[in-house]
Amino acid sequence: MEIVNFAHGEFLMLAMYVAFFAWALGHLDPLLALPLAVLALAALGWATYHGLIRWVLGGPMLAQIFATFGLAVFLRAGAQFLWGVDFRVVQDPWLGGRVALGPVFVGLPQLAASVAALVAFLGLWRFLARSETGVALQATAQDRQAAALMGVDTDRMYALGWALGAGCVGAAGALLAMYFYVFPDVGGTFALLAYVTVALGGFGNVPATLAAGVVVGLVEVFAGLLLAPAIKYAVVFLLYLAIVLWRPQGLFGRW
Amino acid sequence: MSQTLAIVLASVLALPALAAAQPREVVLGVVYPMSGPAAQAGVDNKAVFELAAEIANGATDLPFPFYQRLKGMPGLKGAKVRLIFADHQGKPDVGQAEAERLITQEKVTALVGSWHSAVTATMSQAAERHGVPFLNPESSSPGLTRRGFKWFFRTSPHDEHFTQVMFDFFRDFEKKRGVKLKTLGLTYEDTLFGADSGKVMKDLAKKHGYEVVLDIQYRARATSLQSEVQRLKGANPDVWMPTSYQTDAILFTRTMKELDFNPKMIMTQDAGHISPDFIAAVGKDAEGTMSRAPFSTDLIEKRPVARALNVLYSKRAGKDLYDFPARAFTGMMTLLDAINRAGSTAPDAIQKALIATSIPGEQLIMTWDGVKFDETGQNTLVKGIILQLLGGKYHTVYPFDVATKDVLYPIPAWKDRK
Amino acid sequence: MVKRTALLALLAAVLVFPAVFTLPFPRHVMIMIFLYGSLAVAWNILAGYCGQISLGHAVFFGIGAYTSTLLVARAGLTPWAGMAAGAALAVVFSQAVAFPVFRLRGHYFAIATIAVGEIVQTLVINWDWAGGARGVFVPIKRPDSLWNFQFHESKALYYYVALGLLLLGLAVTRWLERSRHGYYFRAVREDQQAAASLGVNVAREKHRAIAVSAGLTALGGTFYAQYIFFIDPESVLSLSLSILICLVAVLGGVGTLWGPVVGAAVLVPLSEYTRVWLGGTGRALDVVIYGALIMVIAVLQPAGLVGLAARLGRGRRG
Repeated sequence: MEIVNFAHGEFLMLAMYVAFFAWALGHLDPLLALPLAVLALAALGWATYHGLIRWVLGGPMLAQIFATFGLAVFLRAGAQFLWGVDFRVVQDPWLGGRVALGPVFVGLPQLAASVAALVAFLGLWRFLARSETGVALQATAQDRQAAALMGVDTDRMYALGWALGAGCVGAAGALLAMYFYVFPDVGGTFALLAYVTVALGGFGNVPATLAAGVVVGLVEVFAGLLLAPAIKYAVVFLLYLAIVLWRPQGLFGRW
Repeated sequence: MSQTLAIVLASVLALPALAAAQPREVVLGVVYPMSGPAAQAGVDNKAVFELAAEIANGATDLPFPFYQRLKGMPGLKGAKVRLIFADHQGKPDVGQAEAERLITQEKVTALVGSWHSAVTATMSQAAERHGVPFLNPESSSPGLTRRGFKWFFRTSPHDEHFTQVMFDFFRDFEKKRGVKLKTLGLTYEDTLFGADSGKVMKDLAKKHGYEVVLDIQYRARATSLQSEVQRLKGANPDVWMPTSYQTDAILFTRTMKELDFNPKMIMTQDAGHISPDFIAAVGKDAEGTMSRAPFSTDLIEKRPVARALNVLYSKRAGKDLYDFPARAFTGMMTLLDAINRAGSTAPDAIQKALIATSIPGEQLIMTWDGVKFDETGQNTLVKGIILQLLGGKYHTVYPFDVATKDVLYPIPAWKDRK
Repeated sequence: MVKRTALLALLAAVLVFPAVFTLPFPRHVMIMIFLYGSLAVAWNILAGYCGQISLGHAVFFGIGAYTSTLLVARAGLTPWAGMAAGAALAVVFSQAVAFPVFRLRGHYFAIATIAVGEIVQTLVINWDWAGGARGVFVPIKRPDSLWNFQFHESKALYYYVALGLLLLGLAVTRWLERSRHGYYFRAVREDQQAAASLGVNVAREKHRAIAVSAGLTALGGTFYAQYIFFIDPESVLSLSLSILICLVAVLGGVGTLWGPVVGAAVLVPLSEYTRVWLGGTGRALDVVIYGALIMVIAVLQPAGLVGLAARLGRGRRG
C-alpha cells in the first residue's frame, strides 16, 4: 500500500496489553487471548484507516508519515495515561520452560511463537495469492487507479489491508506477551526491526519477508555471539545496507 | 556533642536571615521523568514527595523526633511547603530548561531531582548558575560531585560506594564460607548508568585481584538477549555482575532460564533488578539474585520509621516502599530539614544549613549512618548493603551483623528447582 | 510589498523579543524554535526540494556536536573552530554515505538513512575516547565570552546566534530556490528519469543537496552542545531526533521556504507549554494532546501549515 505505519510498534504494544489484560482480568492464557488480540487489532487497523489514513491518502507521502507518527505518540502516551508506567508480565503461561533440540535449548513460548508466526505467514500468503479479495488487494497496492478502473472498491481494500496488517500484529503481540514484558514504550525497537526486515526482503512480498525475518534473527544472534552484543543491531543495519546496495529493491522486492 | 554543636552553629549562622521578612510559602521544584521509558521512577517518587511535603506541613504525622521537629516548619513560622512537579522526559536539554523556568518564573527556593545522571548534570548546572540549592537524592554517577559545584548536594551513595560494598562482601564472604571467587562476568547496558557502573566494576576488580572473564556492554532495551546469555554461559564466571534497568533485567532472567545458564552467584547493580516490577514479573526465577542497595524492603519491618512511612506510602502509591522512593524521601527530608533550620528561603542560608546538616542514622528510613555532607556535597555517612532475593522478597544478607538471612550460595541450578 | 513589510515587521519583532521577555524560559522556547527551525530548513533542502527523505539527519547534528565538543574538551580549541570543523566533517561524511545510499529510492532510501544513523550511534556509544555512552561535558569557562561561545549570565546572545543560524539556512534556501540548482533539485524530486533526460546530472545534484543540508545541520549540533554543555549519543544521535527534525518540516510544509519555520513555531511551543502545563501530573496527558494535535493537523492540512496560510491569504485577496 506504500504507506509506512510509524505506529506499528504501538499497535504491537496494544496487542500485548490485550493479551496481558485478558490474562490478568479474565484468566485467559495468551494463547486463548490470541483471537481476541487479532480481532481487537484488526478493528483498530480498520478504524485507523477510516479515521486517519483515508484523510491523508490524497496528500503527499510525508503527510502519512506524520499522521502515523502522531498516532504513535498518542497511543504510547495514552497507554501510560490509562494503564500507568509499570512493567507487566504474564505469569506462568501454559507454554513455559524449554525444549532441547539436540544440543540447543529453545524456549517453548518462543518455539510456539515461531510456529504460529509461520502459520500466519502461510495463511496470509495463500490469502493474498489465491483468493479473489487477496488479488484485488495486491492490485490496489500496485496501482490504485487501475484497480479502481477494474471495478475494485479500493477504499474497502485499503481498509482491509489495514485490518489485516494490524490483525497480524495482534497475533504477534499476543504471542510475544507469553515471554516479554509489557509497558507503554515496548514497541519501539520491534517496529524499527520490522521496518528493516520488510525492506530487506522487499516490500510487497510475503515469503521474502519471512526469509528476511529469519536472516535478521540469525544475524542478530550470531553478531552478538561472535562479535560483540553491543553492536548486534548495528550489524543488522549494516547487512541491510549491503543488501540494498546489491539489490536496491531488497532481496525480492517489487518497488 | 558534635551534633548539638552543629545545630547550634547552624542556628547562629541562620540568625541574620531570620530578621528578613517571614516567607509564607516554601516552593520547591521537583523534576523527574514523568513520561517515556523511565517514567516509573518519576511517578513512584511523586507520591513519596507529596508525603514529605505533608509531613512538613503537619497534614500527615510521622511520629519520630526528627520528623516531629519539622512538623509545620517551625523555623519559618509555619510557612507552607508547596511542590511544583515537572517532567524532563529523560532529556538533558529539557531538564535544563525546566530548571531555569522553575528558578526564574516559579521562584523556587531549591530544586530536587532528577533520577538520570545525565539530566541531573545539566539541571544542576542551571542551579549553580543561578545560585540555587540542588538536592539530588539518587543519581549514581560518581562525577556529579566532582565538578567543584557549591550548590549541589547528593544524599545517596554513588557507584563507587555501591560497587565497593560488593567487593567488601566478596572478601568477607570468601573468608566466612571458605570459598574462592575468582572470575567475574560483567554485562552492563549502554547508557550513562551502565557505562559508569561497568567502569567502576572493572577498576575495582583489578584493584582487588579478580579476573574479568567477560566484559559485555549491551544495547539497552534489546528485543532479545540470547547471544549475551550464550556468551555468559560460555565464559561461566564465578560471579555474574549485571547492570540493567527493569526491562533488560526481566528479559535476562527469562532468557537465562530458557538457555539453562546457571551462575552460582549473581551480584547486580540495583536499578532494574530491585524494582517491584522485576520481583513481580520474574521473582521466582530470580531466586538468589543479589543486589547492592541503600534500602531494603525487609528493613521496613525492622525499622519503625520505615514501617510507619510504608503504611502511608503503600496507601497512596498502591505498592510498597522500595529503593527509589525511599531514597527520594530521604533526600527531600534532608532538604526540608535544612530549610527549616535556615529559617529562611534565602539561598545562602539554605546552603549554609545544608552544609551544617547532621541527621542521625536512626532517624532515617535508610540503613545509613546518617546524613552529613563533605565539601563536594556528597553525603559521607552513606552505607551500602547487600540484599538477596529469597522466596520472592529481598532480604539483607550483608553486612553480616545486620543480616536478616544467610547467603544462599550457590544458587541452585535450573534442573534442581521445583 | 505588503508581504515584504510584514516580513520586516516580523524580523523587527523577533530582534527586540529578548529586550521585552527577559526571563530565560520564553527565550529558551524561542531559541528552540530557531534551532529546530534551522534544522528543519536544512533537512528541507534535501527532502523538500530534492525529494530525498532522510530519517538520519541526527548523524550530521551529532557530528557537529561531537566535533566541536571534543575539540574544546580535548584540545582546548574555540567552539567556533569546532563548528567549522564539524560542518566540514559532516559534508565529507555526507558525500561518503551519499554514494551508496543515493542509489536507493523511496522507503529503501529512508530506511538506509535510519540504518546509517543507528550504526553511527552504536559506534559512538562504544567509542571510549569520545566519552562512549557517558557522553562529554563542555568544560565550563567563566566569565562569559564570545570566543568561548559560553554565555551563562543571559540567554540573549544564544538567542541571536540561533536566530543567525536560522536566517543563514533561510538565506541559503532562498538563494537555492532562485539558482539553477534549485530548479535541478526540484526536477530530481519530480522525476529522476525525466530530469536526467533533460541533461540534469542527477547524482551530482543530489550530492550537492545533501552537502548543503549536512553542513547546516552540523552547525546546529555545535550550537546545541554549547547551549546545553553536555552531549551524549542519546541526545544528539538518536533516531527520535531525526524523526523530530522531519516532523517539524513536514508539519509546516515541505519544499517551501517558510514551511519548516512555521512548523517549528507551532510544534516547539506546543510541546514545551503542554509539558509545563501537564507534565508534572505523571500521566503523560501532555504527550497525549501533542500526539492528537499532530494527527488533527495531518488530517486537516496534509500539505503542511503553510498551505493553510496560503489558503487564508488567497481567501483574503479573493
